[in-house]
Amino acid sequence: MKKRHEQKLIILSVGLMIAFSIPISLLFNSDREVLGYPMILIYLSAVWMISIIISLVIVKRYDE
Amino acid sequence: MSSFALFFVVLFYLALLFLVAYLAEKKRSKLWINNPYIYALSLAVYCTAWTYYGSIGVAATSGLNYLPIYIGPVMIIPAWIYINTRIVRISRVNKISSLADFISLRYGNSRSLSAIITVVCLLAIVPYIGLQIKAISETFHLVTETPMSNDILTDNATFVVVLIALFSSYYGTRYVDASEKRLGIISAIALESFLKLFFIIILGLFVIYYAFDGFSDIYEKASKFEDFKEKNTFNGIEGAMNWMVLCMISATAICILPRQFHTAIVENRQEKHIKTAIWFFPLYLLIFTIFIFPIAWGGRLIFDGQKVNPEFYSILIPQHFDNTLITVLVFLGGLSSCISMIIISAITLSIMLSNNLIIPYGLLGKLKSESEEKNTRSITNIRKFSIFALIIMAFAFYKYFILKTSLDSVGLISFVVIAQLAPAFFGALFWRRGSYKGAVTGLIAGLVICYFGLIIPQYYFSYNQEFKGVLRDMYNAFGFFTIPYLGRIPQIFFWSMLVNTSLFTIVSVSSKGNYRERNFAELYVDIDKYIQNHENAFIWRGTAYISDIQNILERFLGKNKTEQALRIFNLKYNIDSKTETADSRFIKFSENLLAGRIGTASAKILIEGVTKEDKISLKEVLNILEESQENISLNKKLTEQSEELQKLSNDLRTANESLIVKDRQKDDFLDSVAHELRTPITAIRSAGEILADDDDIPFDIKQEFLNNIITESDRLSEIINDILYLDKLQHGEISLNIQENSIIETYKKALSPLLHLIQQKNIHLSEVNLLNQFIFEYDEARMIQLFQNIWGNALKFTEEQGTIQTKLFEKDGQLIITIFNTGKHIPEEDLEMIFDKFYQSKNQNILKPTGSGLGLAISKKIVQAHGGSIKAENSGLGVTFTISIPGKTKKENRNEVEHH
Repeated sequence: MKKRHEQKLIILSVGLMIAFSIPISLLFNSDREVLGYPMILIYLSAVWMISIIISLVIVKRYDE
Repeated sequence: MSSFALFFVVLFYLALLFLVAYLAEKKRSKLWINNPYIYALSLAVYCTAWTYYGSIGVAATSGLNYLPIYIGPVMIIPAWIYINTRIVRISRVNKISSLADFISLRYGNSRSLSAIITVVCLLAIVPYIGLQIKAISETFHLVTETPMSNDILTDNATFVVVLIALFSSYYGTRYVDASEKRLGIISAIALESFLKLFFIIILGLFVIYYAFDGFSDIYEKASKFEDFKEKNTFNGIEGAMNWMVLCMISATAICILPRQFHTAIVENRQEKHIKTAIWFFPLYLLIFTIFIFPIAWGGRLIFDGQKVNPEFYSILIPQHFDNTLITVLVFLGGLSSCISMIIISAITLSIMLSNNLIIPYGLLGKLKSESEEKNTRSITNIRKFSIFALIIMAFAFYKYFILKTSLDSVGLISFVVIAQLAPAFFGALFWRRGSYKGAVTGLIAGLVICYFGLIIPQYYFSYNQEFKGVLRDMYNAFGFFTIPYLGRIPQIFFWSMLVNTSLFTIVSVSSKGNYRERNFAELYVDIDKYIQNHENAFIWRGTAYISDIQNILERFLGKNKTEQALRIFNLKYNIDSKTETADSRFIKFSENLLAGRIGTASAKILIEGVTKEDKISLKEVLNILEESQENISLNKKLTEQSEELQKLSNDLRTANESLIVKDRQKDDFLDSVAHELRTPITAIRSAGEILADDDDIPFDIKQEFLNNIITESDRLSEIINDILYLDKLQHGEISLNIQENSIIETYKKALSPLLHLIQQKNIHLSEVNLLNQFIFEYDEARMIQLFQNIWGNALKFTEEQGTIQTKLFEKDGQLIITIFNTGKHIPEEDLEMIFDKFYQSKNQNILKPTGSGLGLAISKKIVQAHGGSIKAENSGLGVTFTISIPGKTKKENRNEVEHH
C-alpha cells in the first residue's frame, strides 16, 4: 500500500478520536430518540459502522 | 446439569481444540498459513470473560461504561497500518518474541529493563488470568447448580483449570525458538474466537426473540426502569470525561497487552494480514457489543427485584427458561474466551519469564557450557513449567484475592498497569532521543502510583475493612491529588501516565544518550530504510573470532543448524567461508539466531562474553549510520541511472532496427518504381523507334503503334499519379471529407464505370445487402476509389463467367464490406503482403501487368485513414476481401488519423 493510502487510514483513526471525543460525542448526549433508540447509542454505532466501511474500502481498493 | 456431564462436555471441547491445533500444525497447508481471517480472529483473544460476562454486568449496572473497552481499540485500529506494520518489521528483523524484548532492545538491549517489563506484565496479567479462572469456576458452578467447594482438591473447576494448564504448556512450547510461529495454537484460538461470537449471537437471538418479542419489546419494557435514561446517556460532562479516559486506556491496551502483542506481532505471518484485521476486527467487536445491550436489559427485566449477579445474566437467562442447550453453549463460549486468553497470556508470559528473567539472571552460565540437546530441553522445560506455574499462581490469586471483586475492575486495573509501558513503547517507535534512563524512571514511577493507587486498595480490602496506621496517613497525605470528577481508575491512569510520560521525556532529554541505544533507536524509527539490510545498520567495533561465536551458536542451535546458518550468512554478504574474524554484521546475525531461544538481552550477553568490543562515541555511530545511509541512497541512485541508460540504449536499438527496415523498404520501393516506370517507357520507345525508322509501315499498323504509345503513356501517368497519391496519403496531406453518406448510393456510383468491363468479361456480379440503415460516415470519393480498386483487382483475377459478390452488413457498430471473387488463391504466405506496394509486379508473371500495382496499397491506406481495417483471405473457390469501417467515426479519432 502506498504511503498516501496509509495516511488515509491514519486520518481515519484521528477522525475517530475526534468523533468520540468529549465535545463532539456530548452533542449527541440528549434525551432525544432517533429511530426509537437513544441518540447517543445510534451515534456511536453509526460512527463505528461507517469507520468499518471506510477502512474496508480503503484496504480493498488500494491493495497491492 | 450434573457436574459430571458438564465436565465431559469441557473435556470433549478441549479435545476438539487439541484436534484443530494438531491438524493445523500437521497439515501446514496454505489454507491455514495464508489465511488472514485466522490472524484477524486470533486478535479477538482481546475479548475475554470480561467481555463475555463482565460487560453485560457493567451495561446493566453502570450503563454506557461498557463501551470504552471496544471503542478505544476501534479508534486506534486504522492506525495499525502504520504502527503494527512497523512493529512487525522491527520484530521480524530482530527476531523479537515478546513485548519485553521489543521495548528493552530499543533501549540498548538492556537486561534490567526487560526484567522490569516482565515484572510489570506479571503484575498486570496474573490477576487477569485469575479473573478468567474465576469466571470459569463460577459459571461452572452456576451451570451445574452446585455450591462452590471450599476444598480446592474436590472442586470440579480446579480440574478444568489443570486441564487448561496442561494443554497450554504442551502446545505453547513446541518450539524452542520463541519467535517461531505457533500455527496450531493460533488456529485453535481463531476457532475459539469464532465460537464465542457465534454462541453470543445465539444467546442474543434467544433473548430477543424467545424471551422477548424482539428488540423493541426489550427496549420498551426496559425504558420503564427509572434509571434507564440515565444509564443510556453520559452522566453529563463528568461521565463523558470518565468515558473518554476509559477509551484511552483501552486504546493503549489493544496495542500493548502482552497477549495482543503476541497475536498481532509475533504470530503475524504476513504483513498484509494486518490490512484484513483493520476492518474485520472492529466488525467483530461491533457484532459482539450489539448483543450486550439486549442481554443486559433483558436480564434486568427478567430478574427484576431478585438478587442475582448481573455479570452472569448470559448464563442465568437461558437457565431461567430451562434451556440446557443454550446454557451449555454460552458456558462454552465463556470458556472459549477464558481459555484463549489464558493460553496466549501464559505462553507469552512464560517466554518473558524464561527469556528475560530466568535465563539472563540465572541460567545463562549453566546453558553456556551444556550441549545443544540439553539446552533445548531445559529451555522448553523452563517454559513448560512457567506456563503451568503461572496458571496455578493465577488460580491461587483468584482463590485468595479476587473471590469477591467484580470482573470489570480487575480487568481495568490490569489495563492501567500495562499502560505504564506505553511511553517507552510508543517512544521506541517514534522518538530517537528516548533513553533507557528515562524509560526506567518513568516506568517505575508510574508503577508505584498504580501500586498504591489501585492494587493496594483493590486487594487490601479482601482482608481488611479500612486503612490502618501508616497506610491511612499516607492516603490522607495524597488526598490533595484526588480529582473529584474522575473515577478511581481514570484518576490513577491520568496521574500515572502524566508522571510516567513527563519523567520519560524529561530524563531522556537531560542526559546524554548511549551509542548502542541510539543505534537501535535509528533502526526502530527508520525501520523502512533498514529493512533490507538491517545487519548493516548494527554498529559494532572490536575483535571477534567466528570460531568463538560459532562455538556458542552450536550450544543452542546444534552443529547442523549453525553450519547451515553460516552458509546462508556467507552467501548473503558474499563472504569467504575461510574468514576468521567476525564483523558487526556477523555479531548481529548471531545475536538474532540466539534471540528467539534465550531472548535478545541474553543473546547480547553471550556474544559479549566471547568478543571484545571497543567503545565508539555516539557521534561516530551517527556518522557511520549516515554514511551507510548515504551509500545506500547513492547505490540506489546509480542503479536507477543504469536502468535508465539500459532503457535508453534499448530504445535506440529498436529505433535503429526500424530505420534499417524502413531504408530497405525505401530501396525496394525505388527499385520497383524504376522497374514499373521502365516497362511502359520501353514499350513507348520501341514503338517510337519503329515508327521513326520505317516510313513504309502500313497505316493500320502505324495506328496500332501510336495507340500503344498512348496507352503506355496513360499507364505511365497513372503510375506516377498513384505514387504521388499514395505518398500524400501516407503523409496525411490528403484530408478526408467525412460526411454522412448512403453506402448504397456510393456503391452504385462506384459500380457504374465498371459495368461495361464486367459485362465484357461475362462475370456474374451480385450483391447481398444485410444493412438495416444505409447512412454511415465516410469520405465518399475515397470510398468509391476503394470499391473500384478492390473490384479492379477482383476483375483481373476472375476468369470469364466467374462470380464477384459484394456483401454489406453491420457488426458491433462497424460497417463490414466483403468482396468475394472466384479465382486463383493467393499463396498463404503472401496474404499480408498483397497490400504492399507493387506486390503484383514482383510475384505475378501470368499476365502483363495492368494497373499501377498500387491499388491495394492505396486501398489499405484509405481504410486506415477511416480508422478501419482490411484483410484478404482464401475462401472456397476464391478470395475474400473484408473491409471494416467504424460506422460513426468520432471527431477526435478522425483528426488523429489524418495526422497519421
